[in-house]
This record gives sequence, C-alpha cells and structure tokens, in this order.
Amino acid sequence: MDMLSLKNGESGQIIAVNAKGEIRRRLLDMGVVKGVPFSMIRKAPLGDPIEIRIKRFNLSLRREEAAQILIERRVEPEASEL
Amino acid sequence: MKKDIVVALVGNPNSGKTSLFNELVGAHQKVGNWSGVTIEKFEGIVHYQDYVIHIVDLPGTYSLTAYSPEEVVARNFIIEKKPDVVIDVIDGGNIERNLYLTTQLMELGTNMIVALNMVDEVEKQKTTIDIKLLQKLLGSHIILTSATKRRGLDALLDHVVRVFLGQIIIDKNKLSYGEMVDDYLDRLSIVLSGQADLIARYNPRWLAVKLLENDKLVYELVQHYPVFFKVEFDLLQILGELKKQGVDDLEGELAEGRDAFIRGAIRETVVFQKIQKITFSDRLDSILINRVLGLPIFLFIMWLTFQFTFTCAAPIMRWIDVLFNGLGILVSAIIVNDPLRSILVDGIISGVGGVLVFLPQIVLLFMAISFLEGVGYMARAAFVVDKVMHLVGLHGKSFLPMMTGFGCSIPAIMATRTLKNKSDKLVTMMVIPFMSCSAKLPVHVLLIGVLFPKQVAGTVLFGVYLFGVLMAVLTAKLLKTTVLKGGSEPFVMELPPYRIPTLRSTFMQAKNKAGRYIRRAGTVILLASLIVWFASNYPQSALTKSNKSLQLKNSYAGQIGQFIEPIIAPLGFDWRMGIALTTGLAAKEIVVSTLGTIYSLGESVDHSSDLSQKLRSDPHFNIATGLSLLVFVLLYVPCLAAVAVFQRESKSWKWTAFYVAYTMSTAWVVSFIVYHLARLFLL
Ligand SMILES: Nc1nc2c(ncn2[C@@H]2O[C@H](COP(=O)(O)OP(=O)(O)OP(=O)(O)O)[C@@H](O)[C@H]2O)c(=O)[nH]1
Ligand SMILES: [Mg+2]
Repeated sequence: MDMLSLKNGESGQIIAVNAKGEIRRRLLDMGVVKGVPFSMIRKAPLGDPIEIRIKRFNLSLRREEAAQILIERRVEPEASEL
Repeated sequence: MKKDIVVALVGNPNSGKTSLFNELVGAHQKVGNWSGVTIEKFEGIVHYQDYVIHIVDLPGTYSLTAYSPEEVVARNFIIEKKPDVVIDVIDGGNIERNLYLTTQLMELGTNMIVALNMVDEVEKQKTTIDIKLLQKLLGSHIILTSATKRRGLDALLDHVVRVFLGQIIIDKNKLSYGEMVDDYLDRLSIVLSGQADLIARYNPRWLAVKLLENDKLVYELVQHYPVFFKVEFDLLQILGELKKQGVDDLEGELAEGRDAFIRGAIRETVVFQKIQKITFSDRLDSILINRVLGLPIFLFIMWLTFQFTFTCAAPIMRWIDVLFNGLGILVSAIIVNDPLRSILVDGIISGVGGVLVFLPQIVLLFMAISFLEGVGYMARAAFVVDKVMHLVGLHGKSFLPMMTGFGCSIPAIMATRTLKNKSDKLVTMMVIPFMSCSAKLPVHVLLIGVLFPKQVAGTVLFGVYLFGVLMAVLTAKLLKTTVLKGGSEPFVMELPPYRIPTLRSTFMQAKNKAGRYIRRAGTVILLASLIVWFASNYPQSALTKSNKSLQLKNSYAGQIGQFIEPIIAPLGFDWRMGIALTTGLAAKEIVVSTLGTIYSLGESVDHSSDLSQKLRSDPHFNIATGLSLLVFVLLYVPCLAAVAVFQRESKSWKWTAFYVAYTMSTAWVVSFIVYHLARLFLL
C-alpha cells in the first residue's frame, strides 16, 4: 500500500521509501523514515501535490513521490507523535 | 588587542537563523516565513567583551549531504572553513525534525552550541523540555532563544566566548547505529586514521559515516589521499559483508539510526501538551488552500496585492508630481541661461521626477510581498501552483524567483540558484523577464493611466501581470519540450505555521528595496537622463535651433529612432517610441523619463511634466499603439544589468544571446498581433 491510498484525515506509518537518489535523500532528511507515523492532511486544489503531517510539521510532496512510499494504515497515532 | 572569533549559524531552513543574525549584529537581512529565504552566506560583526565576533549567516539546510547549491554553501563553510564555533539554530516548535541536522553536526565533531530558537512558541504550546538531559544526550550546550522577542541573545554570545576559550566542555556523545554498523564504522575510522593530514582536518568517524552513505563529495575528497586505496578496499569488503547480512540500503539504515536516536531523546526529554489536534494554522489552511477555494483565493490575494499597491499609492504620487512640477517652474523662473535651464528642467528634474513619482508604488508592492512572505503564505502559494509549474515542467520552487521577478529581475535571476537542476534553472531564468518587474511598473502605470479610466486601472494592471505570467508559462513549456529538456528537482517542502511578521522587518525590507531603487534612480537614471537629454539636443544647427521638434528629429536620438523605425513601424511605433525603447535597454523605468524628456522638448512651450496629458493629446498615440507599447515593454529584454547577471549565472554566452533574441522576438511578434487586433476591434 502506498501513501496515496490514505484518505484525508487517515493515519499511517512509513514502511519503506522506495524513491531513488536525491528525492530519497531529501525525504529521509525531512523525517520520512521507516517506522515514522504520519497522517494525510489534504490534496492541493489541483490534486497535486499532497500535504501530510509528520514529526509535528506539515510536509508537502508530489503524488509521484508519495506513490513510491510504502505505508501501512494505522489507527490514530498518539497525539505526542504527530 | 581584540581577538576574532568566527561563528557560523547553521540550521534547517526557516528555523530563524537570519532573524537571530539580524538581532545579534543589528543587520536587516531578509527574513521570511518559508524555506530557502537566505541563499548566500552573509557576514556581520558584533563586539562583545574583548572579542570581535564574526557571525556568518548560512543558508538553511536539512542535512550535511550536499544536493542543492545552498546546502553546498553551508556544508563547505562548516567543513572547509572550520568556524571557531558553530551555532546550530533549532526551531523549538519543530524540534524532532531539526535535530536530524544536529546529529550530523555532532558527528562532525565541531565546537557546537545549540540555539533552541522560537522558545516563545514552545512556551505558548506548553511544551516542556528537559534541557539538562537533552544537553547531555547531544553533547553540547543548549541556549533558549527567541529572535523575535530578543531573548537569550547575550547568553548566546557569552557561550560563544566560553566555548571558544574552552571553558565549557561537555563530553561529546557518540551516535550509535547499532553494534554491527558501529563496528564497521570503527574499522573504517581506524584505516582512515592512518592518514594523519586527513584526520587533522576531518573527523574520521564522520568520514566513515559519509563513505558508508556513499557521499560523492567525501569519496572524492578521500581519493586525493594515498590512504584511499586501503580505504576503498575495506569499504568494498564492508559493503559486501553488510549485504550478506541483508543490509544493502545503508543510506536508509543510517537515517533510521539517527531517527531512532532522536526519537529516543525526544521521548526522554520533551513533554508535549496534548494539544487540541487542530491548530490555528490548520484551521486557516482548511480555508486558504482548500480544494475548492484554494485557487480562487490565491488569485484573489495576488489581485489584492496589486489593487492595494495601486490605490494606496495614488494620492502620494500626486503630491510628488506636484512637487516636481513646482520645482521645474521655480528653476525655469530663476535661471535665465537657456542651455543650463534646459538641462536642469528637461534633463534632470523631469527625468528623475518621472521616476521618483512611482516610488510609493514600488515601496507598497515590496511591503505587500514581504508581508505575504512573512506570514507564510508564499509556501502555500507554491503548494497551490505547483501542479501548474509541474505541467510546464518546472518545480514549485521556481515560483520564488518568478515572484521575485515582480520586484526586480536581478535578484530573481540570482534566486534561481536555489534550483539545482540545470534545465530548471535556465528555463526559470528565461521566463523571469516576463514577470513584470517593478521598473516596468512606471511604464505600465503611465500607459494604463493614459488608456483606461481610473476605476479599472488596477484591474488592467493585474491583467498585464497575468498576461506576463501566461507568456512565462507558455515559454517554459516550449523550452522544456524543445531546447531545454531535462528532469526536474523533487518537490518536498515544508508548510510552516502562519506567523505574524514583525512590522519592523516588513518595513525594513521595503525600505531596503526602496533604497536600492532610489540609488538606481539617482545614479543610473540620472546619467541616462542626461545622455538622453544630450542626444536629443545635439547636434545643434542654426537652422533647427528655433524649431524644437525639428531639432529633436535631427538629433542623435532622433537619428537612432528613425533608424529603427522601419523595424518597429509594424507595431504602430514611430521614431519617438524607438528612442524610448532603446534607452529603456539601460533600465526599464527610463522609458518613462525618455518619453518625458522627448515630449516636453518636442512641444517646449510649457514645462509641465504631466506626460499622460501630452500622450493623450498626441494624435499618433491611440489605444492600439498604447496596448502594443504596453505589451512590448512587458516582454522585451530586461535591462542590460539583468542581461549581465544572466550571463554570469548561466555562464554561457550562447544562452545569453538566445535570451536576448528570444525576448526581443517574442515582444515583437506579440505586439504585432496585439496592435493589429486592437486596430481591428477597438478603433
Ligand atoms: N515566534 C518566533 N518566530 C521567529 C523566531 N525567530 C524567527 N522567527 C520567524 O521565523 C521565520 C523564519 O525566520 P528566518 O530568520 O528567515 O529563518 P532562516 O533560518 O534564516 O531561514 P532560511 O534563510 O530560509 O534558511 C520568520 O517568519 C521569522 O519571523 C522566534 O524566535 N520566535
Ligand atoms: Mg535566512
């Protein structure tokens, strides 16, 4: 399951970041790392990019990249995690 | 004798480095609530006790890998220049992500102080942090600061001095990546340590980590040393062994190691208030970048920006106009010497006056832009328009230079440095001229004032800007699919919480920019006005002396204008516009002052500088010519200074030539179409 399968307001946890090269590096640097919980906030007005909340900040990324991030669904993560 | 201490401010984008820098050294460098505001390092000095502390503000960076140019600037400075003390500025409201960079700095083994910034926000969110324990875990001192509330500044400087003197030493903590990886790191470190001159400059463990992470720059660095052969041998062996154990993604593995350390540290030291899940920013965003309203609101905010600029500036502009008119009349009355009066009134006063009159607008536009940046809306704007940018093959971040292009092409072209991808960068630089810069604003304002009633002027002006954006988008698509093919940079961007910008910083930024504009008006424009005055008055002959319009036609300027007239005649322009467009190459606002000079010389009798009046009464000037001129000025090559900067940034004469040719021919073709359509339908 990739990140895009979550609806707005749903939560998940990163399983693997399959992007390559620079994109992957940037994602890792910004906290999109295996095991980290996040939740889907919204899609941009034109559908792309998307916005997620992770590590207590809001991150936007494109669908292309989000599709390469494997996740598992999760019930509401604890408030302290988001 | 005062001693020097060199201090670097590093940290994630938007953590408040520049704000701290400004407070510490009393500077007014640009601050904005989104990432990537600072793109070049900047140094300032503060005298503290017996020391001269040189503080260097660096561009924000998420890690010490060096992908984008600002990251390279930051990384090179820390690694190669070796500042005496590194201040790691952390956004306290975003501590977990910010600590990722901190862990990398820990590995570097620099003299580090952590400035936990934005404590005001931390306190508001009722988050508590066990600073003592966190200090121990990070192995460095933590100072609580708030740049906007000016808290902790002295404590920070005090610590800089004490760390410099070696008075406070905290045991450096070693980040563990798990036993297995740690062992390999130790093994590599030992091999590296065989090269004394190498490890005298770089921490061996850091080098080992970077080598495992496959960091190209570090790999190349080590290549220069004899020890490389041994290192490479071991590295390959280690990678092989790790692979056998099922670890082949070391980049991910090491990132997880750091993440685990940080999460552990956070769990032990930070207690977050169980906040209601919906913050103020969330609530605002659920309206501002809402699926349905996001785009209309974006357009509305842009429209409002220009409407605000136009409406508020109008009364002030009238005063300035009256002032310069009065000055002209006064000077004409006092000075009897003909040539002197002519140069003063027609050259200097009307030239500079015609430009200064637009100053209020420029100040207000800059104020509005820096307000939007300060609030944090610009990051949202990039979020909203990224899809469009992406469609034409650009990155949402290209929005920043393009937006800056509304101010001035020169900083805009320089702002493309944030774009790592070469084709992205060139395409963005190419389209910047179509983002109507503030120097074109006086020309637009003049022409719109002449052509349209006051009530719709703001809307028409907005339309002109929008048309420029449209041309930019089309150009980008065209270039990206033909001569400048190439992938784009990843779009991974933080949307910071909304903040209320300090009035002071909004004003200071507007003031700085206005100051730059005045300096240009005062020197370049004055010089150009004088050249234009000279070119329009000489050569003189007895025959033409009495007839001013004949004189102008026979002058050098008139000759140039007539020379290019055949080329621009299909656009509805006569030689007078030819002159104005030529002098406009020096700087766009000169188009106005040239027209001012030419028109007041041509009809000579009174010296009133109301150019609009004169244009209106000129039989050659109608709506078709006016629109055509409006479009031509919008699209044709920006000033010579911008061309020079383009050359410097692109490092290519070929692309610079293309740039000039492309903008010129686009301007010609589009003006041609506009002129003929307008003649068909509007006359
Ligand atoms: N509440 C609060 N806001 C702050 C503080 N320091 C900075 N800010 C705000 O944070 C935003 C970012 O500040 P900058 O100084 O531009 O950040 P920077 O680290 O230089 O950012 P880059 O140049 O992009 O790397 C601005 O909106 C500041 O007004 C602080 O101590 N408290
Ligand atoms: Mg900055």
